Amino acid sequence: MAAATGDPGLSKLQFAPFSSALDVGFWHELTQKKLNEYRLDEAPKDIKGYYYNGDSPGLPARLTLEYSAFDVNAPTPAHCCPAVGTLYNTNTLESFKTADKKLLLEQAANEIWESIKSGAALENPVLLNKFLLLTFADLKKYHFYYWFCYPALCLPDSIPLIQGPVGLHQRFSPKQIQALECAYDDLCHTEGVTALPYFLIEYDEDTVLVSLLKHCSDFFQGQRTKITVGVYDPCNLAQYPGWPLRNFLVLTAHRWYLQCVSSRLQSVEVVCFRDRTMQGVRDIAHSIIFEVKLPEMAFSPDCPKAVGWEKNQKGGMGPRMVNLSECMDPKRLAESSVDLNLKLMCWRLVPTLDLDKVVSARCLLLGAGTLGCNVARTLMGWGVRHITFVDNAKVSYSNPVRQPLYEFEDCLAGGKAKALAAADRLQKIFPGVNARGFNMSIPMPGHPVNFSNITLEQAHKDVEQLEQLIENHDVIFLLMDTRESRWLPAVIAASKRKLVINAALGFDTFVVMRHGLKKPKQQGAGDLCPSHPAASADLLGSSLFANIPGYKLGCYFCNDVVAPGDSTRDRTLDQQCTVSRPGLAMIAGALAVELMVSVLQHPEGGYAIASSSDDRMNEPPTSLGLVPHQIRGFLSRFDNVLPVSLAFDKCTACSSKVLDQYEREGFNFLVKVFNSSHSFLEDLTGLTLLHQETQAAEDHLSFIRPKNGTYPAHQATRSLRPTASSEIDTYQLSSRTIPYIHA
Amino acid sequence: MEEDEFFGEKTFQHYCAEFIKHSQQIGDGWEWKSSKDGSDGYMCKTYFQIKNGTAGSHLGTSADAQTCLSTEEALELPPDDFEVTETEATSKVIKYEYHVLYSCSYQVPVLYFRASFLDGRPLTLKDIWEGVHECYKSRLLQGPWDTISQQEHPILGQPFFVLHPCKTSEFMLPVVKNSEKINRNINYITSWLSVIGPVVGLNLPLSYAKATSQDE
Repeated sequence: MAAATGDPGLSKLQFAPFSSALDVGFWHELTQKKLNEYRLDEAPKDIKGYYYNGDSPGLPARLTLEYSAFDVNAPTPAHCCPAVGTLYNTNTLESFKTADKKLLLEQAANEIWESIKSGAALENPVLLNKFLLLTFADLKKYHFYYWFCYPALCLPDSIPLIQGPVGLHQRFSPKQIQALECAYDDLCHTEGVTALPYFLIEYDEDTVLVSLLKHCSDFFQGQRTKITVGVYDPCNLAQYPGWPLRNFLVLTAHRWYLQCVSSRLQSVEVVCFRDRTMQGVRDIAHSIIFEVKLPEMAFSPDCPKAVGWEKNQKGGMGPRMVNLSECMDPKRLAESSVDLNLKLMCWRLVPTLDLDKVVSARCLLLGAGTLGCNVARTLMGWGVRHITFVDNAKVSYSNPVRQPLYEFEDCLAGGKAKALAAADRLQKIFPGVNARGFNMSIPMPGHPVNFSNITLEQAHKDVEQLEQLIENHDVIFLLMDTRESRWLPAVIAASKRKLVINAALGFDTFVVMRHGLKKPKQQGAGDLCPSHPAASADLLGSSLFANIPGYKLGCYFCNDVVAPGDSTRDRTLDQQCTVSRPGLAMIAGALAVELMVSVLQHPEGGYAIASSSDDRMNEPPTSLGLVPHQIRGFLSRFDNVLPVSLAFDKCTACSSKVLDQYEREGFNFLVKVFNSSHSFLEDLTGLTLLHQETQAAEDHLSFIRPKNGTYPAHQATRSLRPTASSEIDTYQLSSRTIPYIHA
Repeated sequence: MEEDEFFGEKTFQHYCAEFIKHSQQIGDGWEWKSSKDGSDGYMCKTYFQIKNGTAGSHLGTSADAQTCLSTEEALELPPDDFEVTETEATSKVIKYEYHVLYSCSYQVPVLYFRASFLDGRPLTLKDIWEGVHECYKSRLLQGPWDTISQQEHPILGQPFFVLHPCKTSEFMLPVVKNSEKINRNINYITSWLSVIGPVVGLNLPLSYAKATSQDE
C-alpha cells in the first residue's frame, strides 16, 4: 500500500457534525422535571441520547433525545448507539446566554481526554460519545432555548487522507462484506448488544475478524501490515465520516501511535460502518473505507483543544429556540382540538359547510338566564369565539340548576352579576373564547325613565351602550324573560340591519325565530308588505307563505296587535317569572343557535327565503337543511312546526313608521316610548285606528270570535285584548294552520 | 363470529408480537414499548422523511424565522477546519411517529401518530395532509381520514392525532369474513395497518402479508 506521506496534495479528512434531534417527548419530560423535580436547581444532570447508522439516503446524522433521555438506565433503541450527556438547564434566559460555553466544552473535553489516557474509553467506548445540552425552558410561553455541543478533541494537525474514501464494495469483495457482517453480528451477539460504537477489524481475502477495543493488545500481537478500525457511523455522506470518528481517531492516535511507529506503520484504515435494511434487504456495502495518516507527534499530557457547539439553522454560532406552545400549551391544545372537531364535521358529513361564517360570527346575547346560558353553550360547541352577554340580574339560588353557566358559589353574598359570571364561566370552559359581560338594563316601553335626571341620563347611557353593542356584533339573540325588553333591541337591530334570533318560552311551548332582515338602506325601506293587496285574494292558500324572502319576514312583534308595555304588572309571581318545563330552555336555546347557523350557511344569509313545514320533503336550501322563519315547539305533543309570517306594516317594532321615527329622533323618540303607555306606539303605527275600525265592524256584524287559550304563553298579552281585525285574525290563523298541512 | 371482529388485549399483543417479529426480520423498525408499570404497552415506529418541493421550503422558512435566537454570540471558540460545512437542511427533515395501541372500549387497535421537525416542533394536521400522496387523497377523505381527532396518548400523556376506532370494526369486517371464507390466516394488525397506513404516509411492505400466510 503506497503511503505517500507528507504529500501536500493530499486532501484532509473532514467530518460531518451531528444534527440535534429533539423529540417533543423530550421537551414534555423536561417540562415535567423542571416543574416537579429540578425546580430552581441548576446543577448539571445526566441524560442520554442515541444515534443510528441505518438511515435512508439523504438524512442527516442525528443525535436523538427522547422522553427517555432522563432515564440513564433506559434501554437504547435496537441497533442504535448510546451517547452520554450532561444537561445544564438554567433558570433564566440571561444565565442561559451568559453560561461559559467555552468552559463547559473544555470540561467535557477534559473528561474525554482523561478516559482516553486512563484507558477507561477502551473498556467503555461510550465515554467518547459525550454531549452537552444547555437549555432554558420558558414554561409560560412554552419556548425552549437550547444549544447542543458534541465535544470533539482535535488532533494537532490536519489528518491527511492517503486513500479514499470509497464505498466498501469497491474495496471489499462480496465475500468479505458478508464476512464482516457476520463477524460484527457475532460480536454483538456475544456482547448482548445490538450495536457496537467502535471496534477493531482484521481481515484477509477470506476472513474478517472483529473485536472490542479492550482486546487491542491481543489484537495487535504479532507482525501487522495494517491497522483497521471500525466505527459505527451515523453519517450518510459518501465522502465524509460522521462526528463519532473524531474522538476515536484521537484515541487511536494516542493508544496505537507508538505501536504503529514501531511497526513502521503510519497509517490507519477506517471502516465507517453503515448498516441499512430496506424492504427486508440488509446492506452494509455503502459503508465507506479510507486510509489516513496519523499525525507524527507525541501527545503531551494536556488535553488537546476541542470543538463541538452546534451551529444554529442560519449556520451561525448561536443557540436555537423552539416554540412548542402549539402542542404543549393546554389553551392552544384546547383550541386546536375544538377546531379539529368542527373540521371533522366538514370532512365527515357536510363537506360544503362554511365553518368560518359560523366561527367568526360575533354574537350578542341579551339575557343570561336559562336561554342565554344554553345558547352560549351551543355557540361554544360551534366554535363561536366572540360572545357577549347583557343582563342586569344577579345569580340567585334557584338559577344554577337550570342555568348551566352558574354554580352555587355564584349565588353567595347576594350573587354575582349574571352577565359577568356567565362570561367568566365561558372563559373557564374554553380559554380560547372571547367572552364579555355587561351588567346593564335595557330600557323598556311602558317602564318610565323620567323619574329624575339621573334615571333619564342612565337610560340614555344604556341606550347608547346597547346601540354600540348591537353595532359591534353580527347576530343579536333576544333571550330575555319579558316581551317588552325585546322591543328596544329589536328596533335598533332592525335599523342596523343585524340578524336577530329570538327565543321565547312558555310553560311547555316555545318560539324560536329569526326576525325579517330589512333590505339595505340604500335600496329603500323594504319593510312594507308588498304582497298585501294581492294576498287578500287567497289569504287561506298556502301560496301566500311560500317563497317569502327574508326581508319580508315578520319580527317578534309583527303578529301582535298591541304595543309592548309593562307585562309584569298585575301578575302573580309565577306569571312574572318564566316558569317552564326544565328541558324547554335547552331545546329552544339549541334551536336558536342551530337556526343561526343554518341562516349563516345560506348564501343569502338573513335574506334567505323562509322554509316552512311544507319544505320538509323538498330539496333543502343549504347543506344543513331548511332555513325556517320560526320554529314553534309544543312539548306536550313533542312536536315542532315551522310557521312563516310576514312583516306587518303596523308593527310596533319593525314597521317603517317606527324605524323612521327612531332614526330621525333617536333617544328623544325612545324616551316617549319608554314613558308612555301602550297607546303611544299604537297611535303611531295606526294600530289604534285599526282597533277602532275593527270594533266598529264587529259591533256592526255582532260577530265576536271567541278567543281560545291555545296561543303560546308568551303571546298571552295579545289574547287578553279581544280586538283583532278579521284580516289579521285570518292571517294569524293561516300562519298557524299551514304547518299542519304537511302529511 | 364476534370474536373475529373484536378481540381482547391478549390477542392484540399476540398479533403485535407476530408483526414485530417480521418487522425485525426485514428491518422495518417496529418495536414494542411497555408502559412504566409494564401492565400494557404499544407498538411503535419512527420514520424520517425529507420534505422537498414548495411545501418544504415554506415550512423551512418559517422554521428559520422562528428558531434562531436573535442574540447571536461571538463565541471565543477555536475555529474548526475539520467540520463539513455542507450540512443537510435539518429543518426539512420530518419525523413521523406511529403508535399502535389497544382500545379497550372498541376492542380494536388504534393508530396514534404525529409528525414533527427535528427540534420537536409539530406539524399541523394540514401539513400532514399535504404530505399524503395525491393518489390517496380523494379516497381517504371518505375513508379513515374523516375520523381523525386529537387526543392525549394514553401512555405518554402527550397530544397525538388519532384515527378514531369507531369505524375500525366496520371496515375490517369484510376482511375478516373473507379470510374466513377462503380459510386464510391473517394478522389483524397487518390487514388493518395496510388499510389505514397510507392515510399518514405509513407504508407496509408486502412481505408482512406473505409472512402471515406462511405461518399457517
